Amino acid sequence: MIRLPRLLALAAIAVAPLALAAQASAKDWKTITIATEGAFMPYNGHDASGKLVGFEIDLAADLCARMKVTCNVVAQDWDGIIPGLNAGKFDAIMAAMSITPKRMDVINFSRPYTQSPSTFAVMKDGPLANLPVSRLSLDDEAATEAAVKVLTPLLKGKVIGVQVSTIQADLLAKYFKGAIEVRTYKTTEEHDLDLQAGRVDAVIGSTSYFVSTLAKPGGDKVKLAGPLFTGGLLGKGAGVGLRKADTDLQAMFTTAISAALADGTIKKLSLQWFKTDISPAN
Amino acid sequence: MPDILASLTLLGFGPTGWGLQLLRATAMTLAVSMAAYVVGMAFGALGAWAKLAGRAPARLLAEAYTTVLRGIPDLLVIYLFYFGGSQVLTALGHAFGGEGFFGLNGFTVGMLAVGTVSGAYQTEVLRAGFLAVPKGEIEAARMAGMGRLLMLRRIIFPRVLRFALPGMGNVWQQVLKESTLISVTGLVELMRQIHIGAGSTHDAFAFYVCGFALYLALTTLSGVVFRAWEGWSLRGEPRVAGRMAA
Repeated sequence: MIRLPRLLALAAIAVAPLALAAQASAKDWKTITIATEGAFMPYNGHDASGKLVGFEIDLAADLCARMKVTCNVVAQDWDGIIPGLNAGKFDAIMAAMSITPKRMDVINFSRPYTQSPSTFAVMKDGPLANLPVSRLSLDDEAATEAAVKVLTPLLKGKVIGVQVSTIQADLLAKYFKGAIEVRTYKTTEEHDLDLQAGRVDAVIGSTSYFVSTLAKPGGDKVKLAGPLFTGGLLGKGAGVGLRKADTDLQAMFTTAISAALADGTIKKLSLQWFKTDISPAN
Repeated sequence: MPDILASLTLLGFGPTGWGLQLLRATAMTLAVSMAAYVVGMAFGALGAWAKLAGRAPARLLAEAYTTVLRGIPDLLVIYLFYFGGSQVLTALGHAFGGEGFFGLNGFTVGMLAVGTVSGAYQTEVLRAGFLAVPKGEIEAARMAGMGRLLMLRRIIFPRVLRFALPGMGNVWQQVLKESTLISVTGLVELMRQIHIGAGSTHDAFAFYVCGFALYLALTTLSGVVFRAWEGWSLRGEPRVAGRMAA
């Protein structure tokens, strides 16, 4: 009993490949467990009675009806969500998770169901209030280089807040490393509080998230500024996260999302929850 | 400044208030902490026995247990139990012809993980408590012809408790605070509920302050209980100035 932790560690390492291999066998999907974070409104959250609500909860219900499967949506802490999927605790992730090459090393994604540009949020009376606003696809290398050249002197020495392990953190590291001081936060709530407290000069995040920042108390003093970044390392938008082995489930979700995009369901839900259309480009 | 009145409604018990959820989560924190404490107490008693009276292998095992578990972060132990444990169980389940996923729920994992860590501290607290009991008292009990069990019940248990209680109170406070780490398993204890509330309503400040107050209430209340228990364990002791201050 006393040796349990060490024994467990050894056993876990020894049987990990077995456990993963066991899930590789094809199965007939009748019920699917979908994990969400439950604390990232308007994508997903809880109401005061403890019920899951949000854009992704409604979308999951719609997709599951199209796939003719019973879905069970559960809330899971963001930190353990990818390990939990691979350990088999649930079969899919719908938690505003951006499709990125790094994540695709460990899991698969359906086609994206939302794509929301990333941008900066600043205080209206702060030093970065007048960052030039434009649209910028990071796939366009020449335009990106020109924009970085314009932005770097403006951001020089400024403190920028960002949530840890996000595509926006990768963006700062790739294009503005050295010029700015990056401060990482566990949650977006925390960097919003520090922006209002004046501890950071700007925060970078997804425009769909900032809708809620502007709506909350004190949000009237915040504005969005700088380029609306898309593409490149920001990925293709948010998709359903799935185990590598479950290619059949991946095809089912992709088909269902295509249908929901085609008949305007995603646009309708997006307008309902975000007040703006964040359907992916194509 | 956030609107105080709006925040009060948010944390209240009305139809849009999170009061009930927060109370439920507080009860969950208390439940999982108490379960972990009991597990830790069992491990601690076993560890202390092994260190004090065990043979060489048992002593070595107990030594390894306290050294390793006190030396690594609790969060790591929780991850190991939660993800490592489910992989082992799933593999075992499949080996016996089962299908799908086998695993422990957040409550069980949290109880075992935090309990195992607190057991390492409890081992030392109980061992020190035993060593503080004057040898003469045990010899006197033996001289009076008490059997092992009677001596354990009448002399050793109450005397060790009297010396170990302050340390045991500290271990409890530690368990209570470390229970926040169990939130990573998705168990809706107080810390996770605060995170959910903050992320769902975007009024983070109200939820943080509320969490602060609830945790402080829990720890303060526990302090009162342990002080009363300590007072009780000191009954019959000579009332030296300061000793009964509690």
